Amino acid sequence: MSQVTKLTTGLTGLVVSKNPHHTLGILYNKIMRTLQNMPEGAAYRKHTESVIKERTAILKSTTDVASIEKKIGCGQIEEVIMQAENELILARKMMAWKPWEPLMKEAPPNQWSWPPVQSRS
Amino acid sequence: MLLRPILSKLVRNRPLNSPLIQNASRVFSTEVEKLEETRPTVRKPNPVARGQLADFGKYVAECMPKYIQKIQITAGDELELLIAPEGVVPVLQFLKDHHNAQFTNLSDIAGMDVPARPYRFEIIYNLLSVRFNSRIRVKTYTDELTPIESCNDVHKAANWYEREIWDMYGVFFSNHPDLRRILTDYGFEGHPFRKDFPLSGYVEVRYDDEKKRVVVEPLELAQEFRKFELSAPWEQFPNFRNANPASEEVPTDKK
Repeated sequence: MSQVTKLTTGLTGLVVSKNPHHTLGILYNKIMRTLQNMPEGAAYRKHTESVIKERTAILKSTTDVASIEKKIGCGQIEEVIMQAENELILARKMMAWKPWEPLMKEAPPNQWSWPPVQSRS
Repeated sequence: MLLRPILSKLVRNRPLNSPLIQNASRVFSTEVEKLEETRPTVRKPNPVARGQLADFGKYVAECMPKYIQKIQITAGDELELLIAPEGVVPVLQFLKDHHNAQFTNLSDIAGMDVPARPYRFEIIYNLLSVRFNSRIRVKTYTDELTPIESCNDVHKAANWYEREIWDMYGVFFSNHPDLRRILTDYGFEGHPFRKDFPLSGYVEVRYDDEKKRVVVEPLELAQEFRKFELSAPWEQFPNFRNANPASEEVPTDKK
């Protein structure tokens, strides 16, 4: 409560977060827990974990919101929270899609060739 | 009247009478000055941006190997992901919500018809990342009967774009909340952007004086359809015989 220093984010529909440090920490924990369920070798898990770990380290280093925003460098803290929420939803959906599996089907021959191959020859 | 004496005086005063000087001036006049072009009309390729695009393409292909068939860069600096039709929603959701992508804006959905292919339609999604100031294109394919899953749940902008594709090409989008015609007239039949749709359409509209209203009638052409052989016997653009390919594939390691 004591950290609210600004009145508005200046972005439509995005309200100033009451306790951004706490909210962000919870969200990053949730994302990490969701990622634990994915297979070890999944590239999505690997890359997302590295991003989240980096941001969690920044979050733990300080409680000053302005310096967190500057270190993360991805907009205001409310935007960073929104990105984390999106990533959490995405990670949960990924569990159903399993995109780390091998290619489900190859394109038909000449589907992606340009200029298009003529059928008569 | 006034100008003539002045001009003639000027000409007379110039020391061009000597043949030596005349020759020298001709040599000077044919020399081409090499200037550094400061305002080029053709956009120069930017290898740094291109490298970043290729890296991002590889990154997406690594994260979603299940759906991505091919990554290519077209027109020098435009990244394209070519995906299987089942992967439309996952790939768009990934590009929208992932921290390193954030392509939150769906600029357009386009269609393309190539009747020679087994899957004749291409659906093309143009995305914009406001955060990273970057654009990407996602392409997939379908035919007249196979539905594509609607991405209305991912991008709200897709609603009307998909209606437009449905209207113009007749590609069916499953799970779309309101799939109707959007551009053509009431009672219109057919999909005008298909290659087999005639340029003149099927019906014509005129005002009937007796009935005092506009009537729609089947098209009557006053002339037999003629097919012109327009291909020339010689090669049109020999200089571009070995031109650069339209697109360049970004290699990805397949599993």
